[in-house]
Amino acid sequence: MRNRINNLTSEFENDILTVSNLKEIEAIRIKYLSRNGSIPALFEELKNVSKEEKPVIGKELNILKKLAEEKFKNKKEELESAATTAKEWIDLTLPARDKIIGTKHVITQTMDEIKNIFKGLGFSVFEGPELDSDYYNFEALNFPADHPARDMQDTFFINNDFLLRTHTSPVQIRVMSKHKPPVRAIMPGKVFRNEVVNARSHCQFHQVEGLYVDEGVTFAELKGTLVAFAKQFYGSDLKYRFRPSFFPFTEPSAEMDITCYICKGKGCRICKQSGWLEILGCGMVDPNVFKYVNYDPEKVTGYAFGMGIERVALLRYDMKDIRLFFDGDVRFLKQF
Amino acid sequence: MKISLNWLKNYIDLSGIPIDEIESALTMVGLEVENVENQEKMFNNFVIGYVKEKNKHPKADKLTVCIVSTGDEEHTVVCGAPNVDAGQKIVLALPGAIVPQNGIVISKAKIRGVESNGMICSEAELGIGNDHSGILVLDSSLKEGMTLSEAMQLNDVIFEIGITPNRPDALSHIGVARDLAALYNRKMNLPETKQSHSEKNVSEFASVEVEDAINCPRYSAKVVLNVEIKDSPLWLQQRIKSIGLRPINNVVDVTNFILYELGQPLHAFDLDRLSGKKIVVKKAGAVSDFVTLDSKQRKLTPETLLICDAKNPVAIAGVMGGENSEVTTATQNVLIESAYFNPSSVRKTSKTLGLSTDSSYRFERGCNPHITPLAAERAAQLIAEMSGGEIVEGLIDVYPAKILPKEISLRKQQVERILGYPIPDKKIRNIFIGLGFEILSEDKDCMFISVPPFRPDIEREIDLIEEIARINGYDNIPTISRIGITLQEKIDETSFTSELKEILSGLGFNEMYSTTLQGEKSANLTGNAIKLLNPSSIEMSFLRTSLIPGGIETVKKNLNVKEKNIMLFEIGKVFQKVNEKIESFDDFIEQERLLVLLAGNANEKKWYASERNFDFFDLKGYVFALFKKKNLDNFIPYSYNNVGKNLFDFCFEQKYENRVIGYGGRISKEVLKGYDIDKDVYCYELIIDEFKKLSGNPQKFKELLRYPKIQRDFAFVFDKKIEFTEIESFIRKNSSGLLKELSLFDVFESESLGSDKRSLAFSLAYYDYERTLTEEEVEKEFYNLIEKIKIEYKAVLRGV
Repeated sequence: MRNRINNLTSEFENDILTVSNLKEIEAIRIKYLSRNGSIPALFEELKNVSKEEKPVIGKELNILKKLAEEKFKNKKEELESAATTAKEWIDLTLPARDKIIGTKHVITQTMDEIKNIFKGLGFSVFEGPELDSDYYNFEALNFPADHPARDMQDTFFINNDFLLRTHTSPVQIRVMSKHKPPVRAIMPGKVFRNEVVNARSHCQFHQVEGLYVDEGVTFAELKGTLVAFAKQFYGSDLKYRFRPSFFPFTEPSAEMDITCYICKGKGCRICKQSGWLEILGCGMVDPNVFKYVNYDPEKVTGYAFGMGIERVALLRYDMKDIRLFFDGDVRFLKQF
Repeated sequence: MKISLNWLKNYIDLSGIPIDEIESALTMVGLEVENVENQEKMFNNFVIGYVKEKNKHPKADKLTVCIVSTGDEEHTVVCGAPNVDAGQKIVLALPGAIVPQNGIVISKAKIRGVESNGMICSEAELGIGNDHSGILVLDSSLKEGMTLSEAMQLNDVIFEIGITPNRPDALSHIGVARDLAALYNRKMNLPETKQSHSEKNVSEFASVEVEDAINCPRYSAKVVLNVEIKDSPLWLQQRIKSIGLRPINNVVDVTNFILYELGQPLHAFDLDRLSGKKIVVKKAGAVSDFVTLDSKQRKLTPETLLICDAKNPVAIAGVMGGENSEVTTATQNVLIESAYFNPSSVRKTSKTLGLSTDSSYRFERGCNPHITPLAAERAAQLIAEMSGGEIVEGLIDVYPAKILPKEISLRKQQVERILGYPIPDKKIRNIFIGLGFEILSEDKDCMFISVPPFRPDIEREIDLIEEIARINGYDNIPTISRIGITLQEKIDETSFTSELKEILSGLGFNEMYSTTLQGEKSANLTGNAIKLLNPSSIEMSFLRTSLIPGGIETVKKNLNVKEKNIMLFEIGKVFQKVNEKIESFDDFIEQERLLVLLAGNANEKKWYASERNFDFFDLKGYVFALFKKKNLDNFIPYSYNNVGKNLFDFCFEQKYENRVIGYGGRISKEVLKGYDIDKDVYCYELIIDEFKKLSGNPQKFKELLRYPKIQRDFAFVFDKKIEFTEIESFIRKNSSGLLKELSLFDVFESESLGSDKRSLAFSLAYYDYERTLTEEEVEKEFYNLIEKIKIEYKAVLRGV
């Protein structure tokens, strides 16, 4: 009897393994579990077993029955669910329905990044007009009339007194005229130069101006702040240098260079073999400028800086044609 | 400006300093080196060769096969030059040499079957002359095997330096040497020149009269007689060539040499062509035309400062000499002008004439008024030396407006106040002395400093501090690593537009930046455009009056490259004239606007959708979304115009209290034809400031609905011309506050309805925030409404 139970157990387990559809599983049920199945048949024979053996054999038979029922149930559910799924088969590899996401212009993105770094350093953000007067664009920034310094910036004039601003620096004057020190602000915006439009230059581009005026502001702080900016923007392992330059509205004036990130300072086409990339102009606010905005240069000092955005973006994305920024070519805009 | 290292070494001992260190030192004192041309490196692999044999090329008549000796070695070289011959000393470019003229790298090559191991060079190929008719044949005394650099002393290093406008003193070799002297603490050697102290003899040969002392504070002159005009000696030619000029003759070359040595512009007149042997410096007045030595007729203004002789103008002061008095090969006697002209006068003249010269460039930046006698004397001595001429003793020196040295006091504590670190007094003193300043006196707190006459840029204490910083090195200024935060309110004036950009890019639009400057057609399409006084081109001569025309131009460009789905936005300034004359900020309006633009396909043909073009309701949908985002969707009334206005076939507009907030629609076919566009273009323009004013209200939380909605639908056949908004507002007016939502879910037209009819199907939602509505009250209101619509519009109910 025991042998027969064992044999039936292994026979059942073999059978249920090979089952692959609902029809076959039904056959299994009939063969083993139905009223005339082989398991009830064994229960029938239990009455012929000796009194001593009966409880043990009975227990074993029950185990078999339970096992068979459970395995049958599981297998059946498995097959059923497979069958339902199969009915709903879809080609999941079809292309997705297009969901469009737009883009902010690469100049906006670059500008935002710069803005966010300086906002984190406690700077406000101000704007000023693009059509400005000679007073704000030149005179109050210590560009004397008839001075060669004016040649540094080819200007689009509306007439003798009005022009398209050649830099964002006039916003410095407007901000200082309106606010008492301390003033800590950046001033982004569009500027214009009377230049021929080609791959390397355009008659419009964008700048970010920066200004901090307070008691006790020094060149050392200017360096510290701009280095902090550059490391965050260009990478923390960068090398930098400040070298003397000239802007009428700052004194001393400097230009900040960083090691060329294309060639790592070895010299290449981008950095004109110098190993350095000029990234911004800066300096201590000239006392003459303070006089125009009624700040007392004996009380406050300040620094200012300015950088071009297109140049930064051209370098960063390895672009060779500045005109692409202003062409509105959707194929270009969608890339960023 | 080009600076020759060999030339520089005449004035300062730079021994022991490598070339790349000099390069970086110049940059770090503010004389930015933009390019370095190292001739030794350039002429690497160019050697002197001796042509031992010249044989015919077996396969080519015009070629020869030469055996060239370079001392230790012999090279077979194929040559195409007609003038090559045995026995010549030539320049041989060995494999590896880079030809200066064209950058080609010489390598071993087979030329029509014969191996050639180099190239025999022409003057042009070497970049040392223009002759390319044949090879350069050298002096036979040169030894074969020498390097070209050694043989021809082509061992110079030329620095191309960008000089900022504040540093006229550095526009000469002496000036550059002075910065290096201060930096390296080395001595300067100035050229020795005998100086005359009287006009004794010279007054017999020439005289000078200055009528305009303001514009010509000083005029020095020297006379040299019996000169022979000829080529300059080689050393001088080499100097002139090294800075990129062309040698002309011994007199002109000397004036150029002094200009680049001392920074003093000179002019040499043919004394015999000066009427009355007289120089008069005066304004042009009635004289209006003058021919400069480049043979060009120049138009003068009455203010132009002229150098005249007894009768006529002979030069435009500080800018260019005249053809009528220039030195020619026939010249025997010369008068050397060495003057100091007022910078702004020269600048005005140069600007008016559109003529910038080496002279005007220096005068307008400010020359050294104290150096004019020395420069004249030195020029006279060099000219005499080179031309066999005879210097007339004595110097003419008319100096009607004495220019005194500036004296400035430097408060010592200001140095640290500006730079942020202390610099010892001794170091400061050394810097000033090295730069040619004089320390007049000094006490505990102050230094009193006299500024040398060659530094017009130094006028104030801050300028002195810059000199200290510059020479002590910006690298030595500490880079501090902590800053204080000021606790005043932080403002971001760009935050609103940043948010708009966020919303529109989120809606699927691509941001574009178009050009502010436009052609007349586009600029005047949308307003009265401001014109530039000095445009660079006709296509960019007006300021845009709206973002729409630029948008239309952009659509055209994109259609040209077969772009189908065009969704663009731009935020930028536009400019409108208020008054014809712009004399103040009130005469024009500068306004920031947002452009939203749609053209082409809303959907492309896809497996899940068919192709559909953008239409008016797409544009309206995006505009609604934008207003909704700022909680203005139920607030700003819209007005529609089916007839269209100028720009549009049909359009809509939002106004608040009579101020336009925004407007948009389909760009008219007429306008698009002008841009050669045959697709529909939808544009909307928002006046950002007006929009911003309205959207400032603080947002409040709205209670969530806790009671059920009751939904009812109906469809009516209306006369086609009755507008949706009319019906909508009728429905609202004739419903209680329980009607909260109304949506149009079907618009149907068909012949069976009649061509002047259409069916509109509405879905209405009734609810209350305080209670559950009963079916009865909604039914009552709903059917009441239906009856009212029937009567009001004579509409036929199609279904409920």
